[in-house]
Amino acid sequence: MRLEPFDTQRHMVFSRRATVFGGGASLLFLGLGARLYQLQINDHDNYQALAEDNRFNQKIIMPLRGEIFDRFGKAVATSRQNFQVLMVPEDAGDVERVLREVADVLGLDQKELARIRKEAARQRSFTPVSIADNISWDQFARINFLAPRLPGLRSEVAATRDYPLADSGAFVVGYVGAPNERDLEQATSDETKLLLRQPGFRIGRAGIERRFDEKLRGEAGSVTVQINAHGRVIEEYPNLADQPVQGQPIGLTIDAELQEQVSKILAATNDDANRNTDHHEMSASAVVMDVHNGDILVYASVPAFDPNEFNVGIRQARWKELNESELKPLLNKPIGGAYPPGSTFKLITAIAAQEAGIEPAHKVTCRGSLWYGGVEFNCWKKEGHGRLDMRGAIKQSCDVYFWDLAQRIDIDKLAEVARRFGLGTIHDIGLGGQVAGTVPSREWKKKYYRSNPAQQTWFPGETLSVAIGQGALTTTPLQLAVMTSRLATGREVHPRLVRYLDGASQPVPNFAPLPMDLQELDVVRSGMDAVVNEWGTAARSRLENPEWRMAGKTGTSQVRSLQYDPVTGRRLKNYELPWKERDHALFVSYAPYENPRYACAVVVEHGSSGSGTAGPKARDIMRAVLTKDPAKIATYVPKPGDFKTVLDKRQRREG
Amino acid sequence: MSIILPDRRYGLGLLDAWREINWPLIMLLSLIAGAGVATLYSVAGGSWSPWAANHILRYVIALMALFVCGFVPLRYWLALAYPAYFFVLFLLLLVPFIGEVSMGAQRWITLGAVRVQPSELMKVALILALARYYHGLEFKRVSNPIFLVPPLLLIAMPVVLIFKQPDLGTALMVAASGFAVILLAGLSWRVTIVGVIAAFVGAVTAIKMGLLKAYQIKRLTAFMDPDSDPLGSGYHLTQSKIALGSGGLAGKGFMEGTQSQLQFLPEKHTDFIFTIFGEEFGFIGAMVLLALYFAVFITAANIAMQAKSHFGRLLAMGLAVSFILYVLINTGMVMGLAPVVGVPLPLVSYGGTVMLTVMISFGLVMSTWINRDQDTLRTASTVSSL
Repeated sequence: MRLEPFDTQRHMVFSRRATVFGGGASLLFLGLGARLYQLQINDHDNYQALAEDNRFNQKIIMPLRGEIFDRFGKAVATSRQNFQVLMVPEDAGDVERVLREVADVLGLDQKELARIRKEAARQRSFTPVSIADNISWDQFARINFLAPRLPGLRSEVAATRDYPLADSGAFVVGYVGAPNERDLEQATSDETKLLLRQPGFRIGRAGIERRFDEKLRGEAGSVTVQINAHGRVIEEYPNLADQPVQGQPIGLTIDAELQEQVSKILAATNDDANRNTDHHEMSASAVVMDVHNGDILVYASVPAFDPNEFNVGIRQARWKELNESELKPLLNKPIGGAYPPGSTFKLITAIAAQEAGIEPAHKVTCRGSLWYGGVEFNCWKKEGHGRLDMRGAIKQSCDVYFWDLAQRIDIDKLAEVARRFGLGTIHDIGLGGQVAGTVPSREWKKKYYRSNPAQQTWFPGETLSVAIGQGALTTTPLQLAVMTSRLATGREVHPRLVRYLDGASQPVPNFAPLPMDLQELDVVRSGMDAVVNEWGTAARSRLENPEWRMAGKTGTSQVRSLQYDPVTGRRLKNYELPWKERDHALFVSYAPYENPRYACAVVVEHGSSGSGTAGPKARDIMRAVLTKDPAKIATYVPKPGDFKTVLDKRQRREG
Repeated sequence: MSIILPDRRYGLGLLDAWREINWPLIMLLSLIAGAGVATLYSVAGGSWSPWAANHILRYVIALMALFVCGFVPLRYWLALAYPAYFFVLFLLLLVPFIGEVSMGAQRWITLGAVRVQPSELMKVALILALARYYHGLEFKRVSNPIFLVPPLLLIAMPVVLIFKQPDLGTALMVAASGFAVILLAGLSWRVTIVGVIAAFVGAVTAIKMGLLKAYQIKRLTAFMDPDSDPLGSGYHLTQSKIALGSGGLAGKGFMEGTQSQLQFLPEKHTDFIFTIFGEEFGFIGAMVLLALYFAVFITAANIAMQAKSHFGRLLAMGLAVSFILYVLINTGMVMGLAPVVGVPLPLVSYGGTVMLTVMISFGLVMSTWINRDQDTLRTASTVSSL
């Protein structure tokens, strides 16, 4: 090795210094070891005790979900106390003993017990496992009585969603459910994810709850808690800067009281509406609107389901039952059910005819049928209606008269008028699952048969079907209510379901007059009046109070082609057919006739007869609405402090 | 003059270099990183994500970087020392302009697809530069105040920049590593003592003038009396000690740490990770981990002692001291012996740049080991022409 003198010197100095550093490091390591010994061996008992007593944790305080209330401030979705029982396996020690003791009180079956055991095994032993949710006050009291003897058992009061309207509000308010993996993936921030992971947190799954979920959700707060080994909170350090904020309140246009009444009327099987049938259970829907501002006062669909069941977690068997019922309790019928409008559509045909240059005075003689293209079209009245003008034809709902008109109206004109009155379009009222229905036209047919050019031609015979509300034409009950509102007012009425949002009442809309000669409406209105009040097709639906004079139109729409007795060749009556093959019954109406305020559309699935089933129900609904006259009652506007922002102080029991 | 010299004094081929790899060092580093993976797995509640799997990936990449750096002949490192230093200094200068803010400080910049902390890279670059400086300095001039100016400037420039980010912990660590190299180079004790007194006076003046933020002072002093404010600055410390202390002799067992799992520490996967390790593996586990660190230090110090070039000696020893300083400060911090400053535990704490920096520095140590027999770090032709 060849080192120059200065190199030797600096090498020696380096070696000395490096040794000093090495020695220093060794000493420091010994120091660290001594400190560790002191902490982990000498003071272990002391720190062990501190650890038991001194677990700090950051706990999320879940926000209360915003309240949803009806037009008069009645809660339709709110929060209630949820009595829960939890168990901390680590503290329980003998988990089986705890389960044995509580199983009786709570009525837990083997399946439930298996779930609890599985969860207890999967989680960290100091993480609480949910034993039961939504238990009764009585059960809660008995658990609290047991708790002191059973370590690890905890009872808590949390908030859960409550739907006071139950079935009758199901399709408007919707329901909430536990977030799933997809919701977690879609969460934009870590904070949201954390909130979604909280046990008991719910997000909107249907209806208004879903549409306005973000507004209803609120903001989470946090609290620093000091808990001991048993999970008991020794001290809470509320984080004043991070208080939970309740979701905003949302006000609906519906009248909860009427909503419940109408649901009952629709579901009734023992009223005079059912004399033609075998008292089959009702599958029906109704929409009542305030024609001045488009407020949907009643939005009913029967049968429905109880959204509270969905919040708690619906049982498989119950779900299957709902899903398979021929009454379609899960279908949101007012916007999701598309039915041929039947004779109610003749009102639109009457307007289209006038716009095609046919005077209301135009007369046709009905002899019970019409020959067209070598086919005999039968009027609903075999004996014929005799000589009728347009008003008379509406009153009697004469098919032959409207077939005569149909030969003089272009289908595209008819479709244009139908759209003008709100058919064939989606009316966004904040609910999901809405269908547009079908308003047939040449263009529609071309699109519908785009893969089959031979089928694309529109035949004039088809216009005959559409003119009396059959053929490919379908509409929803909401669209029919909108149509009736527009016929009654001559204005472009739009429906709305939400009237209080973002802390303010929504502005009262001012609807523009329809772009047409409004005199065309006169004969339609007068005809509708005659239907009810001049011994027309719905004479039995007349309201007894003359101030409530209701104008209406019946509709009976075929579900399938006419059925004949194979032996006698007699046309079968509806009640002789299986329920699913019976005609739909429809009725559209508004009242009072002179000064329209309320419009109502009723559809009874397979109700057999518009005049026999739907009409009387509409009459009962209108009677209820006019008796209360909700449009005249001041609506509710929330003031600060009207809604609770914090649920009653959480309780905690020590095991 | 004799020019018959053994080959290995001037550099080795790649195959020879591979034969010379110091496997015990690699083994020790891998064991420590393994402890890191286990702890990160536990901290995530028994999950490979978000940290443990990444940690493995990063270690593998960093290990490759170690080999690459180790195979680069030491004389190239000598030539690269100043350029590397000024390149990293340039990156540090860029931080205020294109840096990303994280946890209230601007430390990260993005280079292509990689996010790096230039302050971490500076730990290696500064030691490289100082070793280069003293390699070329005659010993008699080492204690000459005039020749002390360049190294002090080399230290001061990055330290000021890092301090401004603000990252007090790293700034102090970089400064300390730098001074360690100056001491190793043989600065006389007399000058050293004068310097220490001057630094102390300077620091006091700095605090008085308000250069340090209130939270920095509080963090620096909290370790002396953590119970004065149990929910404030001393909070982490109190919780850390409870976790360690409750671990006992054998620990609570893998993934059974109740204290650390209760999420009382915001940086349990980075700066406070030793707490989790100590709680779950107890006194025995913690001592084994400390012993591994010490073994790494001794191995690197041994390599420094065996190196024939002054550059290699200073480089390997400087890096060894810097490494062990991190371990001492971090573990001292969680035990309440040192101030709570943001110093990670090398190879165990989660963090890509730190991992890479540590492994690059051991790559340099490896290069020193492989080229330990070269004394002047000149090529054969330069030597023969002398």
